[in-house]
Amino acid sequence: MALELTRYCIPWTPLRRKLRDATVMLVSTAGIYHPPDPPFEVEGDLSYRRIPSSAPAAELRYADAHYPHDFIDVDLNCVFPTDRLRDLVREERIGSVTEFHFSTGFTMALRDLRDQTVPTLVAEVAQQRPDAVVLTGG
Amino acid sequence: MQGISTVLITVEPEESMQARPPRALAPRGYTAGHSLGRASDAALQSRILSDALELLEHPPEPGTLVTREYA
Repeated sequence: MALELTRYCIPWTPLRRKLRDATVMLVSTAGIYHPPDPPFEVEGDLSYRRIPSSAPAAELRYADAHYPHDFIDVDLNCVFPTDRLRDLVREERIGSVTEFHFSTGFTMALRDLRDQTVPTLVAEVAQQRPDAVVLTGG
Repeated sequence: MQGISTVLITVEPEESMQARPPRALAPRGYTAGHSLGRASDAALQSRILSDALELLEHPPEPGTLVTREYA
């Protein structure tokens, strides 16, 4: 049985542990990837990438043609704050990060994104067992 | 299916809120390309990220967009 939210429903899951004990994951739509994984097709791509949470932002790349890149050419944390999350773990403000974060690329095929990409992505997200997910864009 | 506690950081809140995110932070003054703050400003990026994470532990009413100023 498939459940679909109505237009008026706000999905809600409470945080089940203190933030300082929580495992946090980043999920981005900014087209981030970790070489040698392949880049996204910038004019439309329904795939997603796993990004090792241990990889410094300087090792990551982006494949995008839809938002300004001046800032992330210097510091990818401006859209994908992976170094900052590791800082918060060191400072004991969060418990840990998941082994992998995830990013999608640009697409206008939103129905296909919902029906094809999201179920597979969500299954992988769940396997990582995050207590919380931070969603970011560009 | 079990849900996962989620917070969104958005610099396009009018579009984002149509998706009815449970928690959302809009950093005022920042736009696409630097939604987490200025390049090489780790303190600012950390402050924005922390404020978003704080909404997980101390949430406003579901579906509320929190807008904050960051210098």
